[in-house]
Amino acid sequence: MEKINIPIVDNLFPSLVIGTRILLFGKIFTGRDAVLPKLVALIENNKLDETGIDLKGAVIFHTAVSPAGVGPTSSNKYDIESTIPALSKAGVKIHLGKGRLSPETIRTLHEYHSIYAVIPPVTALLESKILERRVAAFPEEGMEAFHQLRVEGFPCIVAAAHGKSLYEEGSESP
Amino acid sequence: MNQNLNDIQLKVKEALIRASTVFSADKKSVLSRAIETEPSPNVRWVLETILENADTAEKTRRPTCDDTGIPHLFLEVGGQNSVTPDILRQIYQGVAEGMQELPCRPMAVKGSDVQRLEQSMGLFDDPAALVPAPIRIQLVEENVLRLHVLMQGGGPEIRGKTYRVFHQHKMSAILDEIVAWAIEGAGLLGCTPCTPAIGIGRTHYEAAALMLEAMIHGRFDQQNAIEQEITERLNQSNIGPLGLKGQTTALATFLRVGPQRASGVRIVCLRLCCCVEPRVASVLL
Ligand code: SF4
Repeated sequence: MEKINIPIVDNLFPSLVIGTRILLFGKIFTGRDAVLPKLVALIENNKLDETGIDLKGAVIFHTAVSPAGVGPTSSNKYDIESTIPALSKAGVKIHLGKGRLSPETIRTLHEYHSIYAVIPPVTALLESKILERRVAAFPEEGMEAFHQLRVEGFPCIVAAAHGKSLYEEGSESP
Repeated sequence: MNQNLNDIQLKVKEALIRASTVFSADKKSVLSRAIETEPSPNVRWVLETILENADTAEKTRRPTCDDTGIPHLFLEVGGQNSVTPDILRQIYQGVAEGMQELPCRPMAVKGSDVQRLEQSMGLFDDPAALVPAPIRIQLVEENVLRLHVLMQGGGPEIRGKTYRVFHQHKMSAILDEIVAWAIEGAGLLGCTPCTPAIGIGRTHYEAAALMLEAMIHGRFDQQNAIEQEITERLNQSNIGPLGLKGQTTALATFLRVGPQRASGVRIVCLRLCCCVEPRVASVLL
Protein backbone atom coordinates (compact mmCIF):
# COMPACT_ATOMS: atom_id res chain seq x y z
CA MET A 1 0.00 0.00 0.00
CA GLU A 2 1.41 3.38 -0.98
CA LYS A 3 0.73 6.19 1.51
CA ILE A 4 -0.15 9.48 -0.14
CA ASN A 5 -0.41 12.89 1.46
CA ILE A 6 -2.76 15.54 0.11
CA PRO A 7 -2.21 17.97 -1.63
CA ILE A 8 -0.62 15.65 -4.17
CA VAL A 9 2.62 16.65 -5.82
CA ASP A 10 3.27 16.05 -9.52
CA ASN A 11 6.40 13.91 -9.09
CA LEU A 12 4.28 11.19 -7.46
CA PHE A 13 2.56 10.48 -10.71
CA PRO A 14 4.85 8.04 -12.51
CA SER A 15 4.41 5.54 -9.64
CA LEU A 16 0.62 5.71 -9.63
CA VAL A 17 -0.14 3.09 -12.26
CA ILE A 18 -3.39 1.14 -12.56
CA GLY A 19 -3.75 -1.49 -9.89
CA THR A 20 -1.70 0.45 -7.29
CA ARG A 21 -3.34 0.32 -3.87
CA ILE A 22 -3.10 3.59 -1.97
CA LEU A 23 -3.97 5.08 1.41
CA LEU A 24 -4.94 8.76 1.38
CA PHE A 25 -4.01 11.12 4.22
CA GLY A 26 -5.09 14.76 4.61
CA LYS A 27 -7.96 16.90 3.39
CA ILE A 28 -10.22 15.66 0.64
CA PHE A 29 -13.27 17.28 -0.92
CA THR A 30 -16.56 15.52 -1.55
CA GLY A 31 -19.20 16.20 -4.19
CA ARG A 32 -21.63 14.41 -6.47
CA ASP A 33 -24.38 15.03 -9.04
CA ALA A 34 -25.88 18.13 -7.41
CA VAL A 35 -22.78 20.13 -6.61
CA LEU A 36 -19.99 19.26 -9.05
CA PRO A 37 -21.63 21.00 -12.07
CA LYS A 38 -22.04 24.09 -9.84
CA LEU A 39 -18.34 23.94 -8.95
CA VAL A 40 -17.43 23.75 -12.63
CA ALA A 41 -19.65 26.79 -13.31
CA LEU A 42 -17.69 28.72 -10.65
CA ILE A 43 -14.41 27.74 -12.32
CA GLU A 44 -15.70 28.78 -15.75
CA ASN A 45 -16.85 32.14 -14.39
CA ASN A 46 -13.48 32.71 -12.62
CA LYS A 47 -15.23 32.80 -9.24
CA LEU A 48 -13.60 29.83 -7.51
CA ASP A 49 -11.09 32.08 -5.69
CA GLU A 50 -13.96 33.88 -3.95
CA THR A 51 -14.88 30.62 -2.17
CA GLY A 52 -11.40 30.02 -0.75
CA ILE A 53 -11.35 26.54 -2.30
CA ASP A 54 -7.95 25.46 -3.65
CA LEU A 55 -8.12 22.55 -6.10
CA LYS A 56 -4.36 22.31 -6.79
CA GLY A 57 -3.28 18.77 -5.95
CA ALA A 58 -6.77 18.02 -4.59
CA VAL A 59 -8.77 14.82 -4.24
CA ILE A 60 -12.54 14.84 -4.92
CA PHE A 61 -14.53 11.90 -3.55
CA HIS A 62 -17.87 11.27 -5.31
CA THR A 63 -20.09 10.87 -2.25
CA ALA A 64 -22.76 12.54 -0.15
CA VAL A 65 -21.90 13.30 3.49
CA SER A 66 -24.83 12.30 5.68
CA PRO A 67 -25.23 11.24 9.31
CA ALA A 68 -25.02 7.66 7.96
CA GLY A 69 -21.48 8.35 6.71
CA VAL A 70 -19.84 8.40 3.27
CA GLY A 71 -19.57 5.90 0.43
CA PRO A 72 -18.86 6.10 -3.29
CA THR A 73 -21.63 6.81 -5.77
CA SER A 74 -21.25 5.82 -9.44
CA SER A 75 -18.74 8.18 -11.04
CA ASN A 76 -20.12 7.47 -14.52
CA LYS A 77 -23.38 9.35 -13.87
CA TYR A 78 -23.53 12.17 -16.42
CA ASP A 79 -23.45 15.05 -13.91
CA ILE A 80 -20.33 13.59 -12.30
CA GLU A 81 -18.28 12.20 -15.19
CA SER A 82 -18.85 15.31 -17.31
CA THR A 83 -17.16 17.46 -14.63
CA ILE A 84 -13.95 15.39 -14.53
CA PRO A 85 -12.19 17.23 -17.42
CA ALA A 86 -12.79 20.76 -16.06
CA LEU A 87 -11.91 19.74 -12.50
CA SER A 88 -8.72 17.97 -13.64
CA LYS A 89 -7.73 21.08 -15.61
CA ALA A 90 -8.32 23.15 -12.45
CA GLY A 91 -5.83 20.98 -10.54
CA VAL A 92 -7.73 17.99 -9.11
CA LYS A 93 -5.29 15.06 -9.07
CA ILE A 94 -7.45 12.18 -7.88
CA HIS A 95 -11.12 11.60 -8.65
CA LEU A 96 -12.38 9.00 -6.24
CA GLY A 97 -15.53 6.95 -6.83
CA LYS A 98 -16.72 3.71 -8.33
CA GLY A 99 -17.64 2.25 -11.73
CA ARG A 100 -16.21 2.26 -15.23
CA LEU A 101 -15.36 5.58 -16.93
CA SER A 102 -15.54 6.18 -20.70
CA PRO A 103 -12.37 5.91 -22.84
CA GLU A 104 -12.71 9.63 -23.60
CA THR A 105 -12.64 10.55 -19.88
CA ILE A 106 -9.63 8.28 -19.39
CA ARG A 107 -7.78 10.12 -22.19
CA THR A 108 -8.68 13.49 -20.65
CA LEU A 109 -7.42 12.41 -17.23
CA HIS A 110 -4.09 11.52 -18.84
CA GLU A 111 -3.92 14.86 -20.62
CA TYR A 112 -4.25 16.78 -17.33
CA HIS A 113 -2.05 14.41 -15.26
CA SER A 114 -4.95 13.26 -13.12
CA ILE A 115 -6.03 9.78 -12.13
CA TYR A 116 -9.21 7.96 -11.15
CA ALA A 117 -9.27 5.63 -8.16
CA VAL A 118 -12.05 3.42 -6.86
CA ILE A 119 -12.91 3.04 -3.22
CA PRO A 120 -14.94 0.08 -1.96
CA PRO A 121 -18.38 0.87 -0.46
CA VAL A 122 -17.13 0.44 3.10
CA THR A 123 -18.93 3.17 5.04
CA ALA A 124 -18.27 1.94 8.58
CA LEU A 125 -14.55 1.53 7.89
CA LEU A 126 -14.30 4.97 6.24
CA GLU A 127 -16.17 6.52 9.17
CA SER A 128 -13.43 5.25 11.50
CA LYS A 129 -10.85 7.12 9.36
CA ILE A 130 -12.55 10.54 9.21
CA LEU A 131 -11.06 13.02 11.69
CA GLU A 132 -13.03 16.16 10.74
CA ARG A 133 -15.77 17.24 8.36
CA ARG A 134 -17.08 20.66 7.32
CA VAL A 135 -19.13 22.20 4.53
CA ALA A 136 -16.80 24.00 2.09
CA ALA A 137 -19.41 25.42 -0.33
CA PHE A 138 -23.06 25.22 -1.41
CA PRO A 139 -24.54 24.48 2.05
CA GLU A 140 -28.06 24.65 0.53
CA GLU A 141 -27.41 21.21 -0.99
CA GLY A 142 -27.50 19.58 2.46
CA MET A 143 -25.81 16.16 2.40
CA GLU A 144 -24.84 16.82 -1.23
CA ALA A 145 -23.01 20.08 -0.36
CA PHE A 146 -19.31 20.42 -1.23
CA HIS A 147 -17.69 19.11 1.95
CA GLN A 148 -14.12 18.89 3.15
CA LEU A 149 -13.06 15.86 5.19
CA ARG A 150 -9.77 15.32 7.00
CA VAL A 151 -9.01 11.63 6.62
CA GLU A 152 -6.45 9.19 7.86
CA GLY A 153 -5.76 6.31 5.48
CA PHE A 154 -8.73 6.14 3.09
CA PRO A 155 -8.13 2.91 1.13
CA CYS A 156 -8.47 2.94 -2.67
CA ILE A 157 -7.06 1.45 -5.83
CA VAL A 158 -5.93 3.26 -8.99
CA ALA A 159 -8.40 2.28 -11.72
CA ALA A 160 -7.46 4.71 -14.54
CA ALA A 161 -4.11 6.41 -15.05
CA HIS A 162 -1.68 7.28 -17.86
CA GLY A 163 -4.36 6.54 -20.48
CA LYS A 164 -5.00 3.00 -19.19
CA SER A 165 -7.88 1.52 -17.20
CA LEU A 166 -8.45 -1.59 -15.14
CA TYR A 167 -11.82 -1.99 -16.84
CA GLU A 168 -10.41 -2.37 -20.37
CA GLU A 169 -10.97 -5.58 -22.28
CA GLY A 170 -7.90 -7.73 -21.96
CA SER A 171 -6.54 -6.02 -18.82
CA GLU A 172 -6.39 -8.32 -15.81
CA SER A 173 -6.53 -7.08 -12.25
CA PRO A 174 -2.90 -7.27 -11.06
CA MET B 1 -49.14 1.31 26.48
CA ASN B 2 -48.62 -2.17 27.93
CA GLN B 3 -45.25 -3.84 28.42
CA ASN B 4 -45.73 -6.18 25.49
CA LEU B 5 -46.20 -3.34 23.00
CA ASN B 6 -43.12 -1.53 24.36
CA ASP B 7 -41.17 -4.72 23.81
CA ILE B 8 -42.27 -4.93 20.19
CA GLN B 9 -41.03 -1.42 19.49
CA LEU B 10 -37.65 -2.17 21.02
CA LYS B 11 -37.27 -5.52 19.23
CA VAL B 12 -38.09 -3.97 15.85
CA LYS B 13 -35.66 -1.10 16.43
CA GLU B 14 -32.88 -3.57 17.28
CA ALA B 15 -33.72 -5.74 14.26
CA LEU B 16 -33.42 -2.76 11.91
CA ILE B 17 -30.04 -1.83 13.40
CA ARG B 18 -28.86 -5.44 13.18
CA ALA B 19 -29.93 -5.72 9.52
CA SER B 20 -27.95 -2.55 8.75
CA THR B 21 -24.76 -3.40 10.66
CA VAL B 22 -24.22 -7.18 10.75
CA PHE B 23 -23.15 -9.70 8.08
CA SER B 24 -24.47 -13.22 8.70
CA ALA B 25 -21.93 -15.93 9.62
CA ASP B 26 -22.61 -17.88 6.38
CA LYS B 27 -21.96 -14.73 4.33
CA LYS B 28 -18.68 -14.11 6.14
CA SER B 29 -17.57 -17.71 5.47
CA VAL B 30 -18.35 -17.53 1.78
CA LEU B 31 -16.40 -14.25 1.53
CA SER B 32 -13.45 -15.81 3.37
CA ARG B 33 -13.50 -18.80 0.99
CA ALA B 34 -13.50 -16.41 -2.01
CA ILE B 35 -10.45 -14.62 -0.57
CA GLU B 36 -8.59 -17.94 -0.40
CA THR B 37 -9.33 -18.81 -4.03
CA GLU B 38 -8.95 -15.45 -5.86
CA PRO B 39 -5.55 -15.31 -7.61
CA SER B 40 -5.35 -11.50 -7.91
CA PRO B 41 -3.98 -9.66 -4.84
CA ASN B 42 -6.07 -6.57 -5.68
CA VAL B 43 -9.28 -8.57 -5.86
CA ARG B 44 -8.39 -10.29 -2.58
CA TRP B 45 -7.79 -6.84 -1.07
CA VAL B 46 -11.27 -5.65 -2.13
CA LEU B 47 -12.90 -8.71 -0.54
CA GLU B 48 -10.81 -8.33 2.63
CA THR B 49 -11.81 -4.66 2.86
CA ILE B 50 -15.50 -5.59 2.53
CA LEU B 51 -15.08 -8.08 5.40
CA GLU B 52 -13.14 -5.56 7.51
CA ASN B 53 -15.97 -3.07 6.95
CA ALA B 54 -18.50 -5.65 8.17
CA ASP B 55 -16.46 -6.23 11.35
CA THR B 56 -16.14 -2.48 11.99
CA ALA B 57 -19.87 -1.95 11.33
CA GLU B 58 -20.82 -4.66 13.82
CA LYS B 59 -18.43 -3.40 16.51
CA THR B 60 -19.36 0.28 16.15
CA ARG B 61 -23.08 -0.22 15.28
CA ARG B 62 -22.54 1.97 12.21
CA PRO B 63 -24.21 1.20 8.84
CA THR B 64 -22.26 -1.04 6.45
CA CYS B 65 -23.15 1.38 3.62
CA ASP B 66 -24.21 5.04 3.60
CA ASP B 67 -27.12 4.14 1.32
CA THR B 68 -28.98 2.69 4.28
CA GLY B 69 -31.92 1.66 2.10
CA ILE B 70 -35.71 1.60 2.23
CA PRO B 71 -37.22 -0.57 5.03
CA HIS B 72 -39.29 -3.54 3.81
CA LEU B 73 -41.30 -5.49 6.38
CA PHE B 74 -42.46 -9.10 6.17
CA LEU B 75 -44.63 -10.37 9.02
CA GLU B 76 -45.31 -14.08 9.60
CA VAL B 77 -48.36 -14.96 11.72
CA GLY B 78 -49.36 -18.44 12.89
CA GLY B 79 -51.10 -20.41 15.66
CA GLN B 80 -53.04 -18.31 18.16
CA ASN B 81 -51.23 -15.07 17.33
CA SER B 82 -53.05 -12.07 15.93
CA VAL B 83 -52.07 -8.80 14.29
CA THR B 84 -53.84 -5.75 15.71
CA PRO B 85 -53.63 -2.08 14.69
CA ASP B 86 -51.68 -1.45 17.93
CA ILE B 87 -49.09 -4.08 17.02
CA LEU B 88 -48.68 -2.57 13.53
CA ARG B 89 -48.28 0.90 15.07
CA GLN B 90 -45.55 -0.42 17.39
CA ILE B 91 -43.77 -2.06 14.46
CA TYR B 92 -43.75 1.22 12.50
CA GLN B 93 -42.63 3.11 15.61
CA GLY B 94 -39.76 0.64 16.09
CA VAL B 95 -38.70 1.13 12.46
CA ALA B 96 -38.72 4.93 12.90
CA GLU B 97 -36.64 4.70 16.09
CA GLY B 98 -34.17 2.34 14.44
CA MET B 99 -33.68 4.73 11.54
CA GLN B 100 -33.06 7.61 13.94
CA GLU B 101 -30.74 5.73 16.26
CA LEU B 102 -28.54 4.15 13.56
CA PRO B 103 -28.81 6.83 11.99
CA CYS B 104 -30.06 6.10 8.48
CA ARG B 105 -29.42 8.51 5.63
CA PRO B 106 -32.22 11.12 5.52
CA MET B 107 -33.76 10.21 2.17
CA ALA B 108 -37.49 11.02 2.37
CA VAL B 109 -38.46 13.29 -0.53
CA LYS B 110 -40.72 16.31 0.19
CA GLY B 111 -43.70 17.65 -1.72
CA SER B 112 -46.72 16.77 -3.86
CA ASP B 113 -46.78 13.89 -6.36
CA VAL B 114 -45.05 15.92 -9.06
CA GLN B 115 -42.65 17.61 -6.63
CA ARG B 116 -41.63 14.23 -5.23
CA LEU B 117 -41.13 12.83 -8.71
CA GLU B 118 -39.02 15.81 -9.76
CA GLN B 119 -37.37 16.00 -6.32
CA SER B 120 -37.79 19.76 -6.51
CA MET B 121 -38.59 20.48 -2.83
CA GLY B 122 -35.59 18.76 -1.26
CA LEU B 123 -35.46 16.11 1.46
CA PHE B 124 -36.64 15.82 5.07
CA ASP B 125 -33.82 16.08 7.64
CA ASP B 126 -35.33 13.35 9.82
CA PRO B 127 -34.23 9.83 8.76
CA ALA B 128 -37.52 8.54 10.25
CA ALA B 129 -39.54 10.53 7.69
CA LEU B 130 -38.81 7.66 5.29
CA VAL B 131 -41.99 5.61 4.96
CA PRO B 132 -41.43 1.81 4.82
CA ALA B 133 -42.62 -0.08 1.73
CA PRO B 134 -46.07 -1.73 2.13
CA ILE B 135 -45.91 -4.47 4.78
CA ARG B 136 -46.51 -8.08 3.73
CA ILE B 137 -48.34 -10.44 6.12
CA GLN B 138 -48.16 -14.20 5.63
CA LEU B 139 -49.98 -17.02 7.42
CA VAL B 140 -47.51 -19.73 8.57
CA GLU B 141 -47.82 -23.17 10.23
CA GLU B 142 -45.63 -22.29 13.24
CA ASN B 143 -47.15 -20.71 16.36
CA VAL B 144 -45.28 -17.43 15.91
CA LEU B 145 -45.47 -13.72 15.26
CA ARG B 146 -42.18 -13.14 13.44
CA LEU B 147 -41.02 -9.98 11.67
CA HIS B 148 -38.32 -9.82 9.01
CA VAL B 149 -36.81 -6.36 8.37
CA LEU B 150 -35.01 -5.78 5.06
CA MET B 151 -33.14 -2.60 4.10
CA GLN B 152 -33.13 -2.27 0.30
CA GLY B 153 -30.38 -0.12 -1.28
CA GLY B 154 -30.72 1.92 -4.46
CA GLY B 155 -28.03 0.26 -6.63
CA PRO B 156 -29.75 -3.16 -6.69
CA GLU B 157 -33.07 -1.43 -7.51
CA ILE B 158 -31.51 0.27 -10.53
CA ARG B 159 -30.09 -3.04 -11.80
CA GLY B 160 -33.13 -5.18 -10.87
CA LYS B 161 -35.70 -6.37 -13.39
CA THR B 162 -39.19 -7.90 -13.28
CA TYR B 163 -40.31 -9.21 -16.63
CA ARG B 164 -41.92 -12.11 -18.41
CA VAL B 165 -40.02 -15.11 -19.73
CA PHE B 166 -41.43 -17.56 -22.30
CA HIS B 167 -40.37 -20.87 -20.76
CA GLN B 168 -40.86 -23.14 -23.82
CA HIS B 169 -41.38 -25.96 -21.29
CA LYS B 170 -37.64 -25.92 -20.52
CA MET B 171 -36.00 -24.80 -17.28
CA SER B 172 -32.93 -23.97 -19.37
CA ALA B 173 -34.87 -21.26 -21.27
CA ILE B 174 -35.72 -19.52 -17.98
CA LEU B 175 -32.20 -19.96 -16.64
CA ASP B 176 -30.55 -18.56 -19.78
CA GLU B 177 -32.70 -15.44 -19.56
CA ILE B 178 -31.97 -14.93 -15.84
CA VAL B 179 -28.22 -15.38 -16.36
CA ALA B 180 -28.21 -12.90 -19.28
CA TRP B 181 -30.03 -10.27 -17.17
CA ALA B 182 -27.75 -10.94 -14.19
CA ILE B 183 -24.53 -10.58 -16.18
CA GLU B 184 -25.72 -7.33 -17.72
CA GLY B 185 -26.77 -5.96 -14.31
CA ALA B 186 -23.65 -7.14 -12.44
CA GLY B 187 -21.39 -5.36 -14.93
CA LEU B 188 -23.18 -2.08 -14.15
CA LEU B 189 -23.78 -2.57 -10.42
CA GLY B 190 -20.30 -1.51 -9.29
CA CYS B 191 -20.77 -2.90 -5.76
CA THR B 192 -20.04 -6.54 -6.60
CA PRO B 193 -19.78 -9.34 -5.51
CA CYS B 194 -23.53 -9.61 -5.78
CA THR B 195 -26.09 -12.18 -4.67
CA PRO B 196 -28.93 -12.54 -7.18
CA ALA B 197 -32.30 -12.87 -5.40
CA ILE B 198 -34.95 -14.30 -7.71
CA GLY B 199 -38.69 -14.84 -7.41
CA ILE B 200 -40.68 -16.65 -10.10
CA GLY B 201 -44.47 -16.34 -9.95
CA ARG B 202 -47.68 -15.62 -11.86
CA THR B 203 -47.78 -11.85 -11.59
CA HIS B 204 -45.29 -9.03 -11.11
CA TYR B 205 -46.49 -8.50 -7.53
CA GLU B 206 -46.13 -12.19 -6.70
CA ALA B 207 -42.70 -12.48 -8.31
CA ALA B 208 -41.44 -9.45 -6.34
CA ALA B 209 -42.87 -10.87 -3.10
CA LEU B 210 -41.16 -14.22 -3.78
CA MET B 211 -37.89 -12.40 -4.47
CA LEU B 212 -38.15 -10.78 -1.01
CA GLU B 213 -38.81 -14.22 0.52
CA ALA B 214 -35.71 -15.50 -1.27
CA MET B 215 -33.68 -12.70 0.37
CA ILE B 216 -35.11 -13.59 3.79
CA HIS B 217 -34.69 -17.37 3.67
CA GLY B 218 -31.66 -17.74 1.35
CA ARG B 219 -28.51 -19.24 2.87
CA PHE B 220 -25.01 -18.80 1.48
CA ASP B 221 -24.09 -22.31 2.68
CA GLN B 222 -27.21 -24.08 1.39
CA GLN B 223 -27.53 -23.86 -2.38
CA ASN B 224 -29.62 -26.09 -4.65
CA ALA B 225 -28.47 -27.16 -8.12
CA ILE B 226 -30.23 -24.29 -9.94
CA GLU B 227 -28.84 -21.68 -7.55
CA GLN B 228 -25.35 -23.14 -7.93
CA GLU B 229 -25.60 -23.08 -11.72
CA ILE B 230 -26.62 -19.39 -11.79
CA THR B 231 -23.76 -18.46 -9.43
CA GLU B 232 -21.20 -20.45 -11.44
CA ARG B 233 -22.30 -18.96 -14.75
CA LEU B 234 -22.11 -15.44 -13.30
CA ASN B 235 -18.65 -16.16 -11.95
CA GLN B 236 -17.46 -17.10 -15.42
CA SER B 237 -18.25 -13.55 -16.61
CA ASN B 238 -14.97 -12.18 -15.16
CA ILE B 239 -16.72 -9.04 -13.84
CA GLY B 240 -15.35 -9.58 -10.33
CA PRO B 241 -15.47 -7.53 -7.12
CA LEU B 242 -16.07 -3.81 -7.83
CA GLY B 243 -15.93 -4.70 -11.53
CA LEU B 244 -12.13 -5.18 -11.24
CA LYS B 245 -12.36 -8.65 -12.83
CA GLY B 246 -11.80 -12.00 -11.12
CA GLN B 247 -13.74 -15.12 -10.22
CA THR B 248 -16.08 -13.69 -7.59
CA THR B 249 -18.90 -11.82 -9.32
CA ALA B 250 -21.58 -13.59 -7.25
CA LEU B 251 -21.33 -15.14 -3.78
CA ALA B 252 -24.49 -17.25 -4.05
CA THR B 253 -27.99 -17.18 -5.57
CA PHE B 254 -31.29 -17.13 -3.65
CA LEU B 255 -34.24 -18.52 -5.65
CA ARG B 256 -37.89 -18.89 -4.64
CA VAL B 257 -40.37 -20.52 -7.05
CA GLY B 258 -44.08 -19.92 -6.34
CA PRO B 259 -47.26 -21.34 -7.88
CA GLN B 260 -47.26 -21.06 -11.67
CA ARG B 261 -49.86 -20.00 -14.25
CA ALA B 262 -51.18 -22.48 -16.84
CA SER B 263 -49.50 -20.64 -19.69
CA GLY B 264 -46.28 -20.30 -21.65
CA VAL B 265 -45.21 -17.36 -19.50
CA ARG B 266 -43.33 -17.09 -16.21
CA ILE B 267 -42.89 -13.77 -14.39
CA VAL B 268 -39.35 -13.46 -13.09
CA CYS B 269 -38.19 -10.84 -10.58
CA LEU B 270 -34.41 -10.54 -10.32
CA ARG B 271 -32.70 -8.30 -7.78
CA LEU B 272 -28.92 -8.25 -7.75
CA CYS B 273 -28.27 -7.78 -4.06
CA CYS B 274 -25.02 -5.83 -3.73
CA CYS B 275 -21.99 -6.65 -1.58
CA VAL B 276 -23.61 -5.39 1.67
CA GLU B 277 -26.90 -7.21 1.02
CA PRO B 278 -29.10 -8.96 1.90
CA ARG B 279 -29.48 -6.59 4.85
CA VAL B 280 -32.07 -8.58 6.73
CA ALA B 281 -32.80 -9.39 10.37
CA SER B 282 -35.59 -11.51 11.82
CA VAL B 283 -37.18 -11.20 15.23
CA LEU B 284 -39.91 -13.00 17.18
CA LEU B 285 -42.37 -10.41 18.53
S1 SF4 C 1 -25.21 -0.76 -4.27
FE1 SF4 C 1 -25.18 -1.50 -2.14
S2 SF4 C 1 -23.06 -1.20 -1.43
FE2 SF4 C 1 -23.36 0.00 -3.31
S3 SF4 C 1 -23.92 2.05 -2.59
FE3 SF4 C 1 -25.85 0.93 -2.97
S4 SF4 C 1 -26.40 -0.03 -1.02
FE4 SF4 C 1 -24.26 0.60 -0.87
